[in-house]
Amino acid sequence: MSFREAIASTSGLEEAYKVGLQALRAEDKPHIDAADTRCLTGSADIDSSYRSIEPHANRWDFAIAYKHTNRAADCIYWVELHTANDSEVKVVIRKAGWLRNWLKNAGKPLANFECDIVWLSSGATSFTLASPQMKQMAQVGLQHKGSVLHIPKKRNK
Amino acid sequence: MNEPVTLDIKNVGQIEAASLTFGDLTVFVGPQATGKSIALQLLKLVVDAGQVQDELGRYGLDWSGKLSDFLDVYFGEGMHAIWKQDKSSINWQGREIDLEQMAKRKRRAKDENLFFIPAQRVLTLRDGWPRPFTDYTPGDPFAVREFSEKLRVLVEKELGSASLFPQVRRSKREFRALLERDVFSKYALKIDKVRSQKRLVLGTGVEGENLPYMVWSAGQREFVPLLLGFYWLMPPTKVSRRSQIEWVVLEELEMGLHPRAISVVLLLVFELVVRGYRVCLSTHSSQVLDAMWALKHLSENSGTPKAFLDVFDAPKTPPMLKLAQDMMTKIRKAYYFDKGTGIVHDISELDPGAEESGQAGWGGLSEFSGRASAAVAHAVSNGSRQSKK
Repeated sequence: MSFREAIASTSGLEEAYKVGLQALRAEDKPHIDAADTRCLTGSADIDSSYRSIEPHANRWDFAIAYKHTNRAADCIYWVELHTANDSEVKVVIRKAGWLRNWLKNAGKPLANFECDIVWLSSGATSFTLASPQMKQMAQVGLQHKGSVLHIPKKRNK
Repeated sequence: MNEPVTLDIKNVGQIEAASLTFGDLTVFVGPQATGKSIALQLLKLVVDAGQVQDELGRYGLDWSGKLSDFLDVYFGEGMHAIWKQDKSSINWQGREIDLEQMAKRKRRAKDENLFFIPAQRVLTLRDGWPRPFTDYTPGDPFAVREFSEKLRVLVEKELGSASLFPQVRRSKREFRALLERDVFSKYALKIDKVRSQKRLVLGTGVEGENLPYMVWSAGQREFVPLLLGFYWLMPPTKVSRRSQIEWVVLEELEMGLHPRAISVVLLLVFELVVRGYRVCLSTHSSQVLDAMWALKHLSENSGTPKAFLDVFDAPKTPPMLKLAQDMMTKIRKAYYFDKGTGIVHDISELDPGAEESGQAGWGGLSEFSGRASAAVAHAVSNGSRQSKK
């Protein structure tokens, strides 16, 4: 199943699929740097799509799909753009918890894609690579990637 | 606050290009053999050329006006190769320093302005007593021999008393308490005599029961020369600085020390900065840059001295709050010596979200933690999918 098909078959996201990075707002696009934009196989705005369904939840922002040259299937980058300071760590961890739970339920069609769950700073970053916060985030599968997500042609994992 | 001072180095040793501006506190980071120590020794040479030549001459070292011999005598045997004729250059405050000329003509002797605490400081004690300058071979670096000689004079002539730690007159009560808690435990550092031979020992508190140098922990052996260096810089008078000394270089302050002890050493470094010394460090400890980073953000965001002392688990007494307050106003610089390119990068912004991996990973010091977190995050987010395969 392609990313596009998986989005179409996910409850609440039926109309959410967009080509390339078009699901992102113009001001958010500079935070994504794809090595080959032709390999961006689509995106979806999870937050907007679920606003009316789960208005009070800590919803995740976006899904961005990329077809790496060394992978047979799309890889999904689950991206949250959020202020990166210490007090927000718990908020973003809650959002990642919502995402992981959602992938087990309504988002199940998207659960089998190889993925990275990525927090990008919308402004300055106030914790370091060696900080305990980073380890706390890693334990829930969350990576902080600074302010720009660089997506390489080949996936190095 | 000291005025920033510049040193430009081109094609010397592993350094292709370095444009350094020294603040009140300047930190060098980077992998092994990237030129950090060369840059610090060059700094000593440009600041103290006359004193260096005078000291070498006083101990009978003769380089016959040849630059290659002078470099071997100063940096250590075989180090003449760091200087590439017609390619290497040094500029100090925008003025080119002609090393050929420096080697040919002896400079006028003058007082020392820079005190250098070398990475090899553990070698300066033998059998628990500082070695004199002449105890080394002519191929040993000047910085090590000079530091060793300073400690000898300090212990033999200045300190005098039998007790070296605790020393009431050379450091704040708070430092003594922190050093006791995090370095010396219940031991006291003192001068003992076996027959006619003096030696440094750790006293256990029981009369006649002393631990000689050979049974000290690695950390204590590393720390004692460093402590003596701090004593040298903190005279027991109302004058806060040793006269004429403007600069302090401290290589690898973290050697052999637990992170708690590193915190105390950092506070002692800040004490030097606040006393008006211009301090330059090299380090392989991410804790040093963590401290610089905290200092930067607390200064920029109206953080309190109390918050700063919390970082170090230090007492919030008036003298320590004053130290923290003063330190937050000082100019701080950080440089990354890049092994791949030989270029030295200014990473003073210490932005963990920076595009440059050298800055975000603080010159490789956080690289490992970053990779560990990324590997765990990837396993957690993809584990269930992989187990289904």
